[in-house]
Amino acid sequence: MTDLPLAGFLALSAVLLGVGLFGILTRRNFILLLIAIEVAMNSAILNFVVFGSYWGTVPTHGLEGQSVAVVLVGLAATEVAVGLAIVLALNRLRGSINVAEATVLKL
Amino acid sequence: MSGPLNALFAWAFLVPLGPTLAFVVVGLFGRRMQRLEWGGWVAVGAAFVAMVLGVLIAIGEMLSPGTYTDRNIAWFTLPGNGTGTFPHGFSLVMGTLVDPLSAIMLIVVTVVGFLVMLYSISYMRRDAGLPRYYAELSLFLASMLGLVLADNLLQFFLFWELVGVCSYFLIGFYYQRPAAASAAKEAFLVTRVGDVLFLGGIFIYFQQFATAGPAPGWAASGFLFVHHGIPFLALLHPSNPTLFTVAGLLILGGAAGKSAQFPLDVWLPDAMEGPTTVSALIHAATMVAAGVYLLAITSVFIGFSSTDLLVIVAIGGFTAFWAASMAMVNRDIKRVIAYSTVSQLGYMVLAIGAGFTMVGLYHLFTHAFFKALLFLAAGAVIHAVETQDLFKMGGLRKTMKITSIGFLIGGLSLAGIPPLAGFFSKDDVLSSVYTAAQTHPLYWPFYVLALLTVFMTAYYIFRVWFLTFSGEHPRDPTLPHAHDAPWTMTVPIVVLSALAVLAGALVFVPQFGGLFAAGVGFPATPGVPPTYTTTDILLSSLSVGLGVGGILTAYVLWGNGRVFALPESSGAQPIRRLLLERYYVKVGVDWFGRRVVYTVARFFDFVDEYVIDGTIHGFERLFSDLSIRLRRIQSGIVLDYAAYVIVGLAVFLVFLYLIVPAIPALGGG
Repeated sequence: MTDLPLAGFLALSAVLLGVGLFGILTRRNFILLLIAIEVAMNSAILNFVVFGSYWGTVPTHGLEGQSVAVVLVGLAATEVAVGLAIVLALNRLRGSINVAEATVLKL
Repeated sequence: MSGPLNALFAWAFLVPLGPTLAFVVVGLFGRRMQRLEWGGWVAVGAAFVAMVLGVLIAIGEMLSPGTYTDRNIAWFTLPGNGTGTFPHGFSLVMGTLVDPLSAIMLIVVTVVGFLVMLYSISYMRRDAGLPRYYAELSLFLASMLGLVLADNLLQFFLFWELVGVCSYFLIGFYYQRPAAASAAKEAFLVTRVGDVLFLGGIFIYFQQFATAGPAPGWAASGFLFVHHGIPFLALLHPSNPTLFTVAGLLILGGAAGKSAQFPLDVWLPDAMEGPTTVSALIHAATMVAAGVYLLAITSVFIGFSSTDLLVIVAIGGFTAFWAASMAMVNRDIKRVIAYSTVSQLGYMVLAIGAGFTMVGLYHLFTHAFFKALLFLAAGAVIHAVETQDLFKMGGLRKTMKITSIGFLIGGLSLAGIPPLAGFFSKDDVLSSVYTAAQTHPLYWPFYVLALLTVFMTAYYIFRVWFLTFSGEHPRDPTLPHAHDAPWTMTVPIVVLSALAVLAGALVFVPQFGGLFAAGVGFPATPGVPPTYTTTDILLSSLSVGLGVGGILTAYVLWGNGRVFALPESSGAQPIRRLLLERYYVKVGVDWFGRRVVYTVARFFDFVDEYVIDGTIHGFERLFSDLSIRLRRIQSGIVLDYAAYVIVGLAVFLVFLYLIVPAIPALGGG
C-alpha cells in the first residue's frame, strides 16, 4: 500500500465524509439518515487504517490503526442496532419515520 | 462597708431576666392563655419578682452607701498592637452595675412597672391583641431594667434603642387608628434624631478615649462607668476640650430626644395615642426619664464642660416653661398631663445643668410616682366615661371617689404643695438653680422661667381636676354612667397616692437620703436632702405661694362646674390660638417635611427609578429581546441540531487553522 500516495486516501476519506454529511443534512427518512451516518463514520475508519499503515512502526506494520478500525466497525454496528430500535419505536408511535416530524422533545 | 444584702448585687442580672422570660412566654404562648387574661398575669408575676429583687438590691445599696458593684463579662476583646486608632485595642462588655444611681432608678422602674402591669389587667381587658400588649410591655420593662443596670456606655446605648423600639410598638398598639400609627412613627423618628446625635457623641468618646481615661484607655476597658471599683470621672483627663464639649452637646441631643426636651418635644404629646397604661409607664415614669438618667450618668461619670452645662440649663428651663404654656389650653385630659411631663422633665434637666445632678434624680424619683398616679387616675376616668375631652366631663367626684382623691393628691404633689412629694423635689430644683445662679449670672432667666412654670403647673393641673371632677354632672349628658374601677385599677392608684405623698419626705430618712448624697470617687453632689436656711424658706414660700395662686386661679375660672370662655374680642385670643396650635411647631415640621424633605426625596426617587433602575431594566430588556430571537433556533428537529454541530465544527476549525496562526499574540504569526 505504501506505493499509493497518502493524498489519494485522504481525498477518498473527505469525499466519504462529504457524502455522509450531505446525507445527514438532507435526508428526512430515518433509515437513510442512519446510512448517511454510517458513510461519514467510515471516512473516519478509513483514516485510521491509512494513517496506521503509513506511520505504523515496523514490528506491527500498522496493526494499531487496523485494530481501532475493527473496534469502530463494532461500534457502528451497535449504533445501527440502537438506531433501528429507535426507528421501530418511532414508527410505532407516530406511524412515520420522518425525522422532521419527530419534535416531541421540544417543549 | 458591706451590708447583708450585698450578696444580691452580683445577681442583679436576674432583675431584667423575669420580664424577659415573660416576654418570651407571653409572646410565644399568649394566644393560649385566655384564662390568664391572655398572659397578663404572667407579666404581672414577672414584674412582681423583678420588683421584689429590685427593691431588695436598692435597700442593700442604701445599707452600704456609695458602693459600686460591677459584675461583667467581656463579650469580645480586640487586642491592640500599640499603633493605629486603637493602640490598646477595644472590648465590648456586658454586665451590671449596682450604684446609688441605678438603685434609685431600680425602685422607680420596678415599682411603677409592677403597678402599671397590675392596672393593665382591668384597663386593657376589653381590647384585642392582649398577648402582644403584655409581651411588648414585658420586653419594655426588661430593656428598661437593662438600661438602668448597664455598666458601660455601649450596653446603655443598646438598651436605649430597645426601649425606644418598645415605645414605638406600644404607641402604635391601636395600629388600626391612623392617628396612633402616625404618632408611633413620629415618636420613633424624632427620638431617632436624638439617638443619632447620641451615637455621634459615643463616636467622639471612642476617638477621644482610645488611649485616654483609665489605663489602658477607656475604649480598651469597654467604656465601663466604674473601673476597678473607681468611678470613671476620677480618672478623666479630656485631651481636647473643644471636642469634649461637642460630645457633651451630642449626648444632650440624645437625652433631649428621649426626654422630649425642646426642640425634640413634639412627639410626646402625640404619643398619648397609645393606651393610658403605656403613657403612665413609658411616657411619664420610666423611658422619658432615661434621657435625664443619661445626663445624670454622664455628669457623674464623665462630666460636662461649662458650655454644655449652660446649654443644658437653657434647654431645661425653657422646656419647662414652653410645655407648661401649651398644657394650659389643651382640652384633652391625657395631653395636658403629657405636656406636664415634658415640663417636669425640663425641671430635672435644669437641675442637672445647674450642677445638682442628684437633685434632678430626686425630682425624677418623686415625679415618676405622682405622674404615674395622674395618668392612672386619668386612665380610670377615660375607662369610665370613654372620652378624653375635658369639656364633656364634670361632676365625676361623686361617682369616682377613689379616682378623684388620687388625682387630687397627684395634682397637689405636681403643684408643689407641702408636704407632698412634689413640693420637696421641685423646691429643691428651684433652690439649686438659685444657688447656681449666684455664680453663673446667665442662669437667672431660666430660674425666672422655672418660677413662672410653678404657677402655670398648678393652674393647668387644677383646671383638669375641676373640669373633670367638680360640678354637678357631666357637661355631655350622653356620657356613660361612671363608677369607680375594679380592684386591680384602684390598688395601684392607692399605692401610688401613698408614694406621691411620702416619696419626697423619704430623703430625710438617712439611709434613703444616702443614695443621693453618696459620692465616693467623685465630688459629692450637694442638694439632697434639701436644707432649709432662711433664704430657702423664703424661696419655698414664694414657690408655694405661686402654686396656691395657680390653684386659686383655676378655681375661679373653672371651679364648681364653671367653664371659662375667653371673650372673642380679648387681646389674649392670639396667644390662646398660638398655644392651641402648639406654637405652630408641628405645622412647621409638617411644612418642612412636605416641602423640603419630600422634594429631596422625590429627586432621589427619580434617580432611583430612571437612572439606577433604568440601567438595570435596559439590560434586562436587551437580553430578553435577544433571547426571544435566539430561542427560534431550538426547533426540536434533529436535522437542525446536526447542522448546528457541523457549522460549529467548521467555525472551530476555521478559527483553529486560519485565525489563530495569523495572530501573534495567540502564538501564531
